[in-house]
Amino acid sequence: MIIAAFVVLACAAACFFVRLLIGPSLSDRIVAIDGMLVVGVSAIGVEAVRSGIGSFLPAALAVTLVGFLSTAVAAHFVEERDS
Amino acid sequence: MIGEAVILLGCVLTLLAGIGVLRFDDVFERMHALTKASAAGLILVLIGAALLLPSINDVTTLALAAFLQVLTLPVAANLIASATYRAKDVPLRIDTVDELRDDEERSLEPGDRGPE
Repeated sequence: MIIAAFVVLACAAACFFVRLLIGPSLSDRIVAIDGMLVVGVSAIGVEAVRSGIGSFLPAALAVTLVGFLSTAVAAHFVEERDS
Repeated sequence: MIGEAVILLGCVLTLLAGIGVLRFDDVFERMHALTKASAAGLILVLIGAALLLPSINDVTTLALAAFLQVLTLPVAANLIASATYRAKDVPLRIDTVDELRDDEERSLEPGDRGPE
């Protein structure tokens, strides 16, 4: 069942990656990258369950905070670009 | 067993967020799909992992990760939404109700000190 969770997460990441490639505006690409970061945090949790070792769960914290910062900075860039 | 089922349910919710981001045809609709579905999916995945991992140290780390994600994901979506609304090159498909435009017009009237 854990392997099935990995497969489903890979399908979600593929959906976000297609949107990242074809997204017409910059905001679409920011949304897609945000979704891929969420998939990454989920994959860290699932991998910790699969291996039974939780020693790299703080990486999920780091990815969460870096993802929020990058989204905020990119949104500021979108707003300032055309004004 | 229950933990693995919860993890799989959370992953399916994340997949639904991905399908929504792929299929919807507006930036705001995509943001809506991503924020709600993937936040719920991530919470379910982390709850399932907390049910399966034995150490209390891992459980507190997972709880902190879930708390931070719930705290930051709506803020990030709000930032992207307002930036997209104010950007010039994105066509807006808002037809009937645009409360942000009405608010800004009201606050720009002369002699007015902004919305009460």
